[in-house]
Amino acid sequence: MIKNIRTGLSFGIVAGLMTFLFGGWSVAVLGTLMGVGLGLGLGGRFPRKDPLKIAAAAFPSGLVAAVVLILLSLYQNSNVMDAIGKKPFAEDLALKANLLGFFGTVIFTSLLAALHGLPEKQERFYKMILLAILVVAFPFVDQATSLRWTAQIIFALIFVILGLGLNIVVGYAGLLDLGYAAFFAIGAYTTGILSSPVHSIELNFWLVIWIAAAMAAIWGLFLGAPTLPLRGDYLAIVTLGFGEIVPVLFKNLIDVTIKEPLTCWILPLFRIQTKCIILVEHEDLTLGEKGISPIGRPSLPLLELGEPMGSAYLIKLALMGLALALVVFLLVRSIRSGNKSISSLIGYGVALVGILLVFIPIPLTGVKFIDSLLGVLQPGEFESSRPVTWYFLIIGLILLSIFIISRLRDSRLGRAWMAIREDELAAAQMGIDPVKTKLAAFAMGATFSGFAGAFYAAYIRGIFPSVFDFSASIIILCVVILGGIGNINGVIVGGLVLMMADRLFLPALKDFLSLLLTHTVLPSINDPVVQMAVKDNANPILYRFLLFGLTLVIMMAVRPEGLIPNAQVRAELHAADEEKKG
Amino acid sequence: MLELKDVHTYYGNIHALKGISITVNDGEIVTLIGSNGAGKSTTLRTIQGLIRPRSGSIVLDGIALDKVAPHKVAELGVAQSPEGRMIFPRMTVLENLEMGAYARKEKSGFQQDLDRVFSLFPRLKERITQKGGTLSGGEQQMLAMGRALMAHPKILLLDEPSMGLAPILVELIFDTIVAINKEGTTILLVEQNALMALSIANRGYVIQTGEIIMSDSAASLKSNEMVQKAYLGIE
Repeated sequence: MIKNIRTGLSFGIVAGLMTFLFGGWSVAVLGTLMGVGLGLGLGGRFPRKDPLKIAAAAFPSGLVAAVVLILLSLYQNSNVMDAIGKKPFAEDLALKANLLGFFGTVIFTSLLAALHGLPEKQERFYKMILLAILVVAFPFVDQATSLRWTAQIIFALIFVILGLGLNIVVGYAGLLDLGYAAFFAIGAYTTGILSSPVHSIELNFWLVIWIAAAMAAIWGLFLGAPTLPLRGDYLAIVTLGFGEIVPVLFKNLIDVTIKEPLTCWILPLFRIQTKCIILVEHEDLTLGEKGISPIGRPSLPLLELGEPMGSAYLIKLALMGLALALVVFLLVRSIRSGNKSISSLIGYGVALVGILLVFIPIPLTGVKFIDSLLGVLQPGEFESSRPVTWYFLIIGLILLSIFIISRLRDSRLGRAWMAIREDELAAAQMGIDPVKTKLAAFAMGATFSGFAGAFYAAYIRGIFPSVFDFSASIIILCVVILGGIGNINGVIVGGLVLMMADRLFLPALKDFLSLLLTHTVLPSINDPVVQMAVKDNANPILYRFLLFGLTLVIMMAVRPEGLIPNAQVRAELHAADEEKKG
Repeated sequence: MLELKDVHTYYGNIHALKGISITVNDGEIVTLIGSNGAGKSTTLRTIQGLIRPRSGSIVLDGIALDKVAPHKVAELGVAQSPEGRMIFPRMTVLENLEMGAYARKEKSGFQQDLDRVFSLFPRLKERITQKGGTLSGGEQQMLAMGRALMAHPKILLLDEPSMGLAPILVELIFDTIVAINKEGTTILLVEQNALMALSIANRGYVIQTGEIIMSDSAASLKSNEMVQKAYLGIE
């Protein structure tokens, strides 16, 4: 009981302090999110019995958390806003926001804790529904409350996909990859080269994203091949090298000449006079440090609002609906029946075809949107001013990734990965081909970074080699380790927490600190040099890698298995503790 | 069924097997005895394809194994309970057994084989959800053997199944080997515990510093003076 209250208190304090940074409507959003987190955390502490009793038991903690949250939030609005020289939030709006935050906390805490009282299957089902509602509602709430978090969350979600991909290589197959950002770069540059007016090739995004994934997968095989005989540290070093080579390569592919080998070298060897055919001459492929920009964006005919919808649109709509329904039907059926081998294959195939049908506009002659296959500026294009569209696109990509990865994990290949991770020699004795299995891990892992790269390139509209350096690889690895190596949910949480801290929390903290200093400490400092020094160094973004490192050190000391660990990893890391207890 | 002819295997420059010839016939238990470092495990590793012989031939039912990759050897019907057991420590007992069936072409007999393993080793059934790494030494040995049986092999290679086990468990394991053999699996057994091995085997080979120095029926090896002196501890 006391422990639960204490948890509620600490949640409330953390969320309350966060409102200092964001202000305004953030108290409502933070309250709801905190309620969800608190409810999830508390639920597991109770035995699986009566939902109402659990709700009643979790209620006091929720209440404490809510009270602390709104007290801090009210203090923020009355005093802190003054201190940082901002106008306080209008009183009636502040009241509404705080009420929302209060009820959000209390209701969601009790509700999510209570779900634990249901049988396990139902619990998971309701949690999924609740989660889906939150995920769908978030960007609209964000827009309505003008918090502008969606754009940053999209970055976090890109890293979630990258983490999911790397998790296949590191978590499932146990191959430490320190150069994973290379595949991200390959995906992004493939997209950049194939859909930018710079090279006058402007393929449709829905086509390019598959090409990018395929390119990344192929390069995954190329990297995988030389590492096959290597293990552990040696493997890591080779991947590190690859991760360094790729960005440098992209930086320097600015003067590419490709000669046709038969006519230029082989035939002259036999003294046959031919004209050397040059395929590409002095082509600036990647534009070096300048980067490729602009890059084409995805478009969906569905996004065209206000245009009269012709019959072609209706046919397309029907096809899309049919394909989606088929995928959902197969998904549900395969989950229900538990039949793994054949239905999973059909499932993949149909999902693929269905999604191709959905996304590639079908050219029908005489219809305007035939141009959209090659065109860039079409109505219905995704725009940076409308982050909601991008948000749902990446959510869709993540769902697709989770579906494929979880099916892979439970497949024959997934089992082979885990056997290789455990003991390569024993795995070979069981009849597992280590070569094929490892190559498949590299290729599959790279595929998802290809998706992420294509999305990133289209979202940012430009790509630059410096984005994909070593630190990017390390951040992706941190996402996996922090969240829980080998666990899909863990990687998602890890990606969200880490990237939100990086892209949302730190910038907000920087603004907050600089405003606070400007209005409090700085005017009292007389020496302009000291004044400048204080002002310049009170910028937490400067210390992001320090904070990053600190977080990792603390995590490794306190909870080495990650936030949401894989059961096997936890068992291994805490085997010693249990022996002591036992 | 399995025939090794003049097999030479090297670890780098070290000549580990100096022309080994062994024949295992259908339905037999054949044992390979010898002291530490004689080349017993190397012989099994060579059969499995984990090390390549530099010369000589290994033939299983008319198929040459000496250029086949280890996982293909497993698919051809050779299963090994390796030295040091090499179970998957972070997988459960059931998952370990499932991995054993990985190489099988036909999936129909899986449940039957699982039942068979559990009837041979009832202890494994009690531990079905436990992680392999948390089992005791004897249980790990049972798991390693059970996992090899799940492949439904033509020939089962057992590497020192008695190593590090209490005498009572050793007897249990050897009884089980006989039971497995009675059900029709051919067995090549490598052992340091020569007395036990010779008492259950049909035939035996004695290996010393990489060479077969003697081969005979198990009974006559057991009564051979030199074998008694060197391996059975009888003066």
